[in-house]
Amino acid sequence: MDTTARLARAEEILKPHDFLSAHPAPDRLDVTLLPGVLEAAVRALIADRWGYLVAITGVDRPGIAALVNDEKQWSRLVAEEETSSTSADHEGSIELLYTFCSGAAIVTLRTSVRYSYPVIHTICEIIPAATLYERELIEMFGVKIVGTPSTEKLLLPDDWPDGVYPLRKSFKGFTSNQPTGEN
Amino acid sequence: MEALPKSNKFIVPIGPQHPALKEPGHFEFTVDGEVVVGATIRLGYVHRGIEKGTEDRNWIQNIYLLERICGICSHTHSTAYVEGVEKLAKVTIPPRAQVIRTLYLELERIHSHLLWLGVAAHEGGFDTLFMYSWRDRETVMDILEALSGNRVNYSVNSLGGVKFDVDQKQSDQIRRGMDYLEERSHYYMKVVTTDQTFLGRTRHVGLMTLEQAIHLDATGPTARASGLAKDVRVDAPYAAYPDFPVRIQLGDRCDLESRFVVRINELFETYRLIREMLDHLPTGELQTKVPRRIPEGEAMMRLEAPRGELFYYLKSNGSDKPERLKVRTPSLCNWASVINLAVGYNLADMPMILAGIDPCFSCNDRTVTVRRPGDSQTWSWDQLRRYGIEYYK
Amino acid sequence: MTLRVEPHFLAALEKVKTWARINSPWLVHFNSGSCNGCDIEILATLTPRYDLERFGIKLQGSPRHADVLVCTGPVTRLARERLLRTYEQMPNPKFVVAVGSCGTSGGVFHGCYNIVGSIDEVLPVNVFIPGCPPRPEAIIYGVVQLLESLKPK
Repeated sequence: MDTTARLARAEEILKPHDFLSAHPAPDRLDVTLLPGVLEAAVRALIADRWGYLVAITGVDRPGIAALVNDEKQWSRLVAEEETSSTSADHEGSIELLYTFCSGAAIVTLRTSVRYSYPVIHTICEIIPAATLYERELIEMFGVKIVGTPSTEKLLLPDDWPDGVYPLRKSFKGFTSNQPTGEN
Repeated sequence: MEALPKSNKFIVPIGPQHPALKEPGHFEFTVDGEVVVGATIRLGYVHRGIEKGTEDRNWIQNIYLLERICGICSHTHSTAYVEGVEKLAKVTIPPRAQVIRTLYLELERIHSHLLWLGVAAHEGGFDTLFMYSWRDRETVMDILEALSGNRVNYSVNSLGGVKFDVDQKQSDQIRRGMDYLEERSHYYMKVVTTDQTFLGRTRHVGLMTLEQAIHLDATGPTARASGLAKDVRVDAPYAAYPDFPVRIQLGDRCDLESRFVVRINELFETYRLIREMLDHLPTGELQTKVPRRIPEGEAMMRLEAPRGELFYYLKSNGSDKPERLKVRTPSLCNWASVINLAVGYNLADMPMILAGIDPCFSCNDRTVTVRRPGDSQTWSWDQLRRYGIEYYK
Repeated sequence: MTLRVEPHFLAALEKVKTWARINSPWLVHFNSGSCNGCDIEILATLTPRYDLERFGIKLQGSPRHADVLVCTGPVTRLARERLLRTYEQMPNPKFVVAVGSCGTSGGVFHGCYNIVGSIDEVLPVNVFIPGCPPRPEAIIYGVVQLLESLKPK
């Protein structure tokens, strides 16, 4: 199957879940989804044996709003996990890119979560190897991943201060060994 | 091995025992008798904060930073990055530069596989093979030094092309080197497939079936040794590979021996490729101009590093520094596969199994905590290695 | 019961110890977060072309038996404590050789959030060997410089 056919097949599989799809390059398909349907979309791709997960990338976007979260759907899933967030903070969001490949075709599932409610469901039940990527997201961006098998630090040292997320833009490094970034 | 008080988990990174294997890192094996029943991993000792660092450096400075993610596959990282930037800037580099870049990629593959061969042999107690393969590796190091001026971190890429040309004398040196190495590789193949002691350590050890390889997202020679036909140079050719196609090397035994065989076969394929590239090296320029500010956009690059698929995500906001750069190294996803593989094998097999995936150490590291029901002990890597060698005597 | 040792005997003993230390130093290597470039060049010094062992220099495993700590890398936060502990396990007199630009100043990683920087910030360093990475010959030269400095004047 050539690249165009592979991309078309992926688009077909993801149609029921997508919000918006785009072809930024001849070998790429970007499908934007709501965070709540991410897991179902991944399940659909893997069930079809379309391809394999290559990476989960987080991108910090201060000042850019996330897609609207369907909170009713989430509150059922994360009742225990939900922290008491005060005002709905639309001052920033974290975009999550789940990149899958098959041959030369690259499909990226894009979703985003806002700072005040950075919650997403794990995909480790479908792809066990994803635990390493999810651990990285948790410690680097402060994303809360519901149901992920391990939340132990992967890359950061044990004595890293809580609540400091290095890959957020607000983190500017340490001065005299004290963290100065706030989220 | 010091016995520790019961139910006291003592986690200490061990001062490296062996030069190349020394990065502290953390494996935990839970053992029942001799058999491994569980394994977990904790990395972080080599975490330097490079992804964040790229946001503070301009596009050119980043070449030098990213080259040093890993000294063994440095050119692969550098190529992934510059190709990403060139994609964003919508620049096509001259054909001669493209082939020279690929030449370096393949030379790097040789040095990496020979390095691994020596190190994996050392893990199995076979120091003679280690000395032979590293001596032969010097041939490739000399070639790289003659071409670029440095043995490691060649820094040959620039945005828009390459910095150094390949002249006739260097080309002859490369050909002579390939002839010598090919002869030596036949010898290594013979050793790896017929030496009984070595086979005792590698045959039927570390089995990963094709289904497991797919399910665990294995990549690189580790995956190909299980019959999984995944090679980015074949699936999604980049650099000069569209003009110089690669023949994928697969293994059928799914065990450690197969991983050795696949890598040596890849060496033969690389010798052929290099000769072909030298025979058909296009004439022309070495560089094109790339603007200082890269237009807004995103690029995704996939390359076949010696260890497997390397993935780069690059985002530009139109300024002279990247907005975000994400690196997913092949060893990271192979660790997940090895953790699952280890279960059911003897502790003595662990060093070989871990070495068999050819971990790129600066992406990952190793010290070992051996946990038995009721207590745990901390072993150095060397202790584990020697334990393995003793066990099989 | 105290052991009384004649001063001239003590001096002779010191001379023998120094001679042994200079002529057959035992090294232990530690990677505090390097990209491995320096480490593979250190490893290359053992291989037939450079063959460090013919000079009596032995690269071995345990810090408790070592005279010289050969250290690479820009010292990541996690590795820092381990580096200190390795150094503490070494018996006196002990020496430290920092290999590579990262060990000298943090190298290209200077400013990155998870590194401490030069090995000098953590341990007293006797010899710096600059390079990215330094050639095996440069590493051997650096170690020899250290040994030269130990020779009695």
